[in-house]
Amino acid sequence: MSAVIQIERAGPMTTVQDTGRRNALNHGVSASGPMDQSGFACAAAEITTSGRSGIEFTTSGVALRLLSGNLKIGGAGGKFFAQLNGAFLQWPLNRELVDGDVLDITPGPTGNFGYLRFDREMDIPLIMGSSATNTRAGLGGFEGRSLKADDQLSFTGKGESAPAPYHINPERSDPIRFIWGIHADLFDHDVRQNFVTTPFQVSGQMDRMGIKLNDARPVFAAGDNLVLVSDPVAPGDIQILGDGTPIVLMRDHQPTGGTHALPPF
Amino acid sequence: MADKIQELRPKIVPLGDRALLVRFATSLSAEANAAAIGFAQNLADAPPQGALEIVPSLVSVQINYDPTQISGSQLSAELSLRYWGMKAEPSGPARTWKMPTRFGGAAGPDLEAVANSLELTVNQFILAHNAAELRILATGFAPGFVYAGFHEANLQVPRRAKVRDHVSPGSILFAVGQTAIAATPIPTGWHVIGQTDFRNFDPSMQPPTKLRAGDRLIFEAVS
Repeated sequence: MSAVIQIERAGPMTTVQDTGRRNALNHGVSASGPMDQSGFACAAAEITTSGRSGIEFTTSGVALRLLSGNLKIGGAGGKFFAQLNGAFLQWPLNRELVDGDVLDITPGPTGNFGYLRFDREMDIPLIMGSSATNTRAGLGGFEGRSLKADDQLSFTGKGESAPAPYHINPERSDPIRFIWGIHADLFDHDVRQNFVTTPFQVSGQMDRMGIKLNDARPVFAAGDNLVLVSDPVAPGDIQILGDGTPIVLMRDHQPTGGTHALPPF
Repeated sequence: MADKIQELRPKIVPLGDRALLVRFATSLSAEANAAAIGFAQNLADAPPQGALEIVPSLVSVQINYDPTQISGSQLSAELSLRYWGMKAEPSGPARTWKMPTRFGGAAGPDLEAVANSLELTVNQFILAHNAAELRILATGFAPGFVYAGFHEANLQVPRRAKVRDHVSPGSILFAVGQTAIAATPIPTGWHVIGQTDFRNFDPSMQPPTKLRAGDRLIFEAVS
């Protein structure tokens, strides 16, 4: 028996994702996939059997109603609050919903991205082999766009057993390891030294394409807009814009870039 | 040519922890572009163990790999061996595409300014542009977006000072000695000189793009 959910409330970056679109770069399309791969995997592991597609939501949370059937839902990523018909549930989440149930996820103390996974396959067309929403290209997922209130998703068949995820402790605050990128030599020694000794802050300006960093010192000054030959870029690359703003590229990055690319990873 | 490609001495550098980049040059040239296309084709014909995606770019080839199957240093060594043992000849004859294009007017709002800046009439520019021997240099930047080159030195214009937030699919773009074709709505700092009905991106098709790096391109003015 199939199950149908209806989105009751969705933040602006609520999207359908799977592990991403492989072999798409040759066509000018980046892989997309979950911003927090560990959270995505953990949500599936909560319910042990999961379909390949899940819902990624942000600090605005998400609410959904099960219109028909029953559906097991796993939730993970960050620390969010989950309520079933108004009663609080534990997070990470593992719950079977019956028709009429309303699940409401609201922001908690930590986490920019959270995930819901389901014990069935989401009935959604695969575009270039994947259900992942690419917000830059407007393809995949639910009609190539973010989910919004009143959208309905149906589920059929059975999911597959979810592999054990690797756990990342969200409380940890270790330095982020990196390697120098292909354009790092365009910055002089002092700038590179300052890059590794100065704290940067994640700004509120983030989406699936990239995360802007606050550079209070600043380490990177405005410079001439160098015109560099376009080379491939990867998620995790740090690009320095002409005005000195550092941007960390994320899952829906453009496939090639000609801006300063400092380090990937 | 056979010996010449190896003279480029590419650098193999990591692009994060699951991709390598084979870089043939730090600026665009016909030789570096041909080397990138040829090497990517060579790898695609017989992918190295652990390689997941092989992506040619303007002057480099990106190889995404599975680090549980092969380490970056092992793959780097393998790529070196492959490159130095590679024959320079392209693996197949180049395909030729005709690109019927409406130049100027509403379809190409920058055409007149571009022709003026080159001290050509619009018709002279169109003739010179369409007479060029163009090849697809790379797909990238946006879905199905292709760069084609190269124009002669007398057809070089810089990018526009202002970026247009949105040009429509099929827009023919011109700058820095190249002609590019937009396949989806994109922002661009290139000059919009025309419009074609050809669409290089259809995600419901397999493969979703038609043009491949190395293909020849012939522009034809239509009204």
